[in-house]
Amino acid sequence: MDKSTSQRFVPLKRNWWLKLRFFKLYMLREATVLPLVFFLLCILAGMVALLQGPESWQRWIAFMGSPIVLLLNLLALAASLFHAATFFVLFPRVMPLRIGNYQLPDKAIVAGQWAGVLAVLLLFIWLFGRASV
Amino acid sequence: MTKPTMNTPSTDSQRTNQPPHHQAYDESLWWGLFSAGGVCFAVLLPSAILFFAVLLPLGWLPADALSHERASRLLFSVPGFLFVGAAVCLPLFHAAHRLRHGMFDLILGRDTTNKKLMYGAAALLSLLALGLVVAGMFR
Repeated sequence: MDKSTSQRFVPLKRNWWLKLRFFKLYMLREATVLPLVFFLLCILAGMVALLQGPESWQRWIAFMGSPIVLLLNLLALAASLFHAATFFVLFPRVMPLRIGNYQLPDKAIVAGQWAGVLAVLLLFIWLFGRASV
Repeated sequence: MTKPTMNTPSTDSQRTNQPPHHQAYDESLWWGLFSAGGVCFAVLLPSAILFFAVLLPLGWLPADALSHERASRLLFSVPGFLFVGAAVCLPLFHAAHRLRHGMFDLILGRDTTNKKLMYGAAALLSLLALGLVVAGMFR
């Protein structure tokens, strides 16, 4: 490659991705990290509160219950599931699994990852779903 | 405005007046962190968000499931440290990677600057998160 690509392609406009559904979905997937970052910052604040003591911890729980925070975190929950749906189908393409001569079907790999999501959910229910011991 | 190129190999830096090309040795590290963070975001975060950001503030968990005493005991421990690494730090690098590429797609800022800002912020927040767990363990 002897010339930089910018010299050979037509310059793109900022709204290039609005033209095709495929690109819009791509940008939506990229945007799933925005509510994720919000949730991660909330968790960091929660860790600081936990370190500060019981009163701060209760204040943090109250903060998490305020309508806007709750709404943004519900958005993060939806985003995490949308991200999972797009990310799991990539795995068999990036790293096809083979056992001996048997090629593991893509669907099995995707289902295995959803089983992982379910396993984590069960772990959380076991940890937090009942009165503590 | 022309879309700048991202890590384009150009061998004739003198002729095109471009800065000399540097081989992007670090990209595999960022992609590895992005990929690992993507798995954690998909597998761990739905449950984490549901329990810590929805059920807990709504009061739908058993009263002492995440009391200050129990939450401290669970978080400030070796499993807590590993959980924070998987559920906070790796997703931070995943987010940094997607934000960097999203800004490139929207032609915002310069990629060389964005890269340092995004991965730098992810690294700092990760250190803070792990530091908080360690601080709690030695409290």
